[in-house]
Amino acid sequence: MSFHIDPALGQPIYRQLMEQVRAQIAGGRLVAGDFLPSVRQCAKAFDVNPMTISRAFTLLESEGVLERVRGKGMRVIGPPPVETLAARGAPLEPLLRAAAQRAHELNLPTDEVLSDLRSFLEEHSDEL
Amino acid sequence: MSFDVLEASQVTKRFSSHQVLRGVDLSVPQGSVMGLLGRNGAGKSTLLQCAVGLLKVDGGELSLLGEDSWRLSASAKSRLGFVAQTPELTPWMRGRKLLEYAASFYPRWNWDLVRRLVALWEIDLRARVRELSEGHRRQLAIILALAPEPEVLILDEPVAGLDPVARRTFLQELIDVALEGERTVLFSTHITADLERVADRVALLADGRIRFNDRLDVLKERVVKLYVRSQDALPSTLGVPGTLREDVGRHEAMVVVEGLETEAVDGLRDRLRAHVEVKHLGLDDIFLEMHHAG
Repeated sequence: MSFHIDPALGQPIYRQLMEQVRAQIAGGRLVAGDFLPSVRQCAKAFDVNPMTISRAFTLLESEGVLERVRGKGMRVIGPPPVETLAARGAPLEPLLRAAAQRAHELNLPTDEVLSDLRSFLEEHSDEL
Repeated sequence: MSFDVLEASQVTKRFSSHQVLRGVDLSVPQGSVMGLLGRNGAGKSTLLQCAVGLLKVDGGELSLLGEDSWRLSASAKSRLGFVAQTPELTPWMRGRKLLEYAASFYPRWNWDLVRRLVALWEIDLRARVRELSEGHRRQLAIILALAPEPEVLILDEPVAGLDPVARRTFLQELIDVALEGERTVLFSTHITADLERVADRVALLADGRIRFNDRLDVLKERVVKLYVRSQDALPSTLGVPGTLREDVGRHEAMVVVEGLETEAVDGLRDRLRAHVEVKHLGLDDIFLEMHHAG
């Protein structure tokens, strides 16, 4: 399980976590029945206040994404009901837009940028 | 049921002609990790020093662990750890002696934690305190405050002067404290990235008063930036309730809003036939914007 927490983003950390859990479920990296690491493990692994982690878990529970299993932690219930590819990609759009704008400002050729992006994507697919 | 470990009510403090605290109200619930933000000279150190009884308030009430801060009992003091901005450690003592000496005052002393941090931070305990670098002296002061595992930790700019690796180690120690659930941390800082990781609450001190005191995520969701674009010419002010700052051009505007209501966005869209984008801000920016507004 890997999450990326960036405190500098405008989005509060608990929301970053929620979004990444949802994204990993939508993308099939987390499947129904999987257990998430405990609040303690997450707090220590990401260097984040445990209250922030448990807030994310509790909200995901109330959304019906996770369920709390006594003594065992948070279990993934299943993918959110309707999740189109477009909806799944929505959080990515502002990042891509920003990257596109920056590439434009730097006057970089489109092919160059796309091939960089492709190699970044491939780096991550290796991690799996 | 948790109680407030620290309670300040209308606290005032002046130094000769300079009124530093102008009526501070603050409560720090047990088990929380609270970051105290404020610009240089905002009075953070003054407030923390008043809280631990190193300075006497001029007016108002200030209590720690249920006791008047100025008259803390020995037992309250033994439950408190404090790191001053410029810690005063006995300069002639060797590090190891200082640790042993300090340990003798407390019923509990976590030598494992001491050894771990001393090794990580590469502090030479054979050296006299005055021979240590400023960074190492600070780190030693932090270790001295953490080792007795106090119920309340009050830290004045603890990460200032620490390198990134030492900062991260320190943060991890605070997260361990937070994991215990019942210990309380209040620390001042202006490194907001650290604060976001470790704090669950934030208080903002500006103009001698607490401008905001709530959960960190509440603050982050409270202040937003609107980008407004319209084909029509925009009015000179958009009149969004809670505006901290606005910059209105002919067809484009930027408005920073505190406590945005969704109706306000819908209102702009309908009224000005505008495209409105809502952007969340990092804590640094929120901090700046709230100061702009004063």
